[in-house]
Amino acid sequence: MKETGKIAETVRGTNMTQHEMVAVEELVREIARALVDEPEAVDVQTVARDESTILKLRVAPGDVGKVIGKQGRTARSVRTILSAVSMKLHHRYTLDILEEDEEV
Amino acid sequence: MPIDDLQQAAQKIAELLSNMNKLGGFRLKYRISAGDPQEEDTAALNVELAGPDTPLLTQHNGELLRAFETIAAQVLRLDQREQSQISFDAGNFKALREAELKMAAETAAAKVIESGVPFAFPPMNSRERRVLHMVLREIEGVETASNGEGRDRFLAVYPEGKTHLPVAAQAKPRFGGGGGGDRGGRGGRDGRSGRR
Repeated sequence: MKETGKIAETVRGTNMTQHEMVAVEELVREIARALVDEPEAVDVQTVARDESTILKLRVAPGDVGKVIGKQGRTARSVRTILSAVSMKLHHRYTLDILEEDEEV
Repeated sequence: MPIDDLQQAAQKIAELLSNMNKLGGFRLKYRISAGDPQEEDTAALNVELAGPDTPLLTQHNGELLRAFETIAAQVLRLDQREQSQISFDAGNFKALREAELKMAAETAAAKVIESGVPFAFPPMNSRERRVLHMVLREIEGVETASNGEGRDRFLAVYPEGKTHLPVAAQAKPRFGGGGGGDRGGRGGRDGRSGRR
């Protein structure tokens, strides 16, 4: 099914469906949970915009290094996966990894 | 830490890939098998991916395939050196890439021997640099060394005994690499500009 206009099930102001957005948020959450030592502390919040959606990932302070990885390899890999997902869903998703105390 | 419970490790990888399909909308089939422990230089776990999204995995020099592999290695808590314990492949990509690298290594060696001038490959990951290094080790008259840091690390081929010669890194083969790749190597950073 191809959405052409702003039909009921799309997220307001964007061309993606609620279902897709929730799924991608859940994907990032699941990847992060598998990477860290404290999966219960993983939190993902979604900020939807017209052109793109920002996924804000917060993990326990001791786990920040695990989601970033040496020389940023892990974070870069998650972003590579997100850009492939973006291509498939025709909507851009970006990842923000929040450091301690950073406001969402 | 090496993988001590292959069954559990395979399960974790399967879970990760199932999430990619279910939540990320990928259409990929996967087969996870244990490597031959008798054979040296093989991974403990091989993950073979197939299905309609295989081209997505292998485009941009296998960037997405490598991303999956990196995430899986992190999930299994393998450090960078241990990452070779798992191997992700799709549509025979790795074998084809290896053949390609081998050919490039032979061409580079011939060029270096003929000209006496070192040659720099574009930045590559450690596995690919290793393939080049292994091929070039067998060729007489050349030596290799890795230069640069992190993502920019690249392999250079030198005439034998002349690893002191300056070699300029190739510009990154990516888009939006930001900030000039000093391709020409002129105006060298170390004051040895010009003469080679």
